[in-house]
Amino acid sequence: MIDPLQLSTRLASAGMEAQSLRLRVVAENIANAQSTGTTPGSDPYQRKTVTFRTELDRAAGAASVRVREVGTDASPFRVEHDPGNPAADENGEVKFPNVNVLVEMADMREANRSYEANLQVIKQARALVASVIDLLKT
Amino acid sequence: MSGVYLFGLASRQAQHLAVRQATIAGNVANADTPGYKARDVAPFAEVLARTGLDMAATDGRHLQGSPGAAAVKVRPSETWDPLDTGRSVSLEQELLKSNEVAREHSLNTAVVKSFHRMLIASLRSGA
Repeated sequence: MIDPLQLSTRLASAGMEAQSLRLRVVAENIANAQSTGTTPGSDPYQRKTVTFRTELDRAAGAASVRVREVGTDASPFRVEHDPGNPAADENGEVKFPNVNVLVEMADMREANRSYEANLQVIKQARALVASVIDLLKT
Repeated sequence: MSGVYLFGLASRQAQHLAVRQATIAGNVANADTPGYKARDVAPFAEVLARTGLDMAATDGRHLQGSPGAAAVKVRPSETWDPLDTGRSVSLEQELLKSNEVAREHSLNTAVVKSFHRMLIASLRSGA
C-alpha cells in the first residue's frame, strides 16, 4: 500500500495537470477569439471546451482526476456585416468565433483558483512529512 | 510501567491524519468534476472506539477483525454548498480541513517528541 501522504501529493498533481490543460484551452480560445475562416463563407474557429472525470487510481484505490475530452462548443457563430473581409460571403456577412472573452476570463480565474488549491494541498502534505522527519532530529 | 502504549496510539493517529489528508487531496483534485461527491474520513475517536476491542491474533489461523489502516474508513462528507449547484466539493471547506489535519499532526508529533525526551531522560538517569 502506498503511503497516504505520498498519495495526496500524487492526487494534487493530477488535479494540477487537469487544471493546467483547462488553462491551455482557455488560452487557445482567447487567442483565436477573432480567427475567421480563410475562404469566403467558411466557418471560423470553434470554441473548445474541457470536461473532467474521476478516475480510480488502481494502485492506491483513490479517486484521481483526469481530462475526459477536449470537445467543441456547438453554439452558433456571431455574424457581422463586413463586406471588405476576405471571409465575407456573397451577402457581405462574416462569421466570427463563438468565443466570449468574458466567459473565458471567468473560466481562467476558476482554473487558477483550483490550481492554487491543489498547490496548497501539496504544501500541506510536505509540511506533515517535514514534521515527522523532525522527530528524528532530536 | 503503564502508558507506554502512547507511541502506538500516536502512530495510529498519524496514520489516520495521513489518510484524511489523502482524502482531502482527492476532493480538491476532483473539485471541478461533474457528479463527484466529496468524501471524508470517520473521526479518530470513532475509529478508536470501534477498534479498541480487537482481539490479539497470536496465530496465523486466528480471525482478524480490522487490521491497522483498513480500520480507517472513507465516507461521504456533508457539504457546505448553500445553493444546490450540483457541486459537492467546497474548496474553502477542504482547505480548512487540511489546516485542521496539519494542526492535529503537529500536536501529535510534539507529544511524541516530548514523550521520547522523557524516555531518554529516564534511561540516562538509570545509567
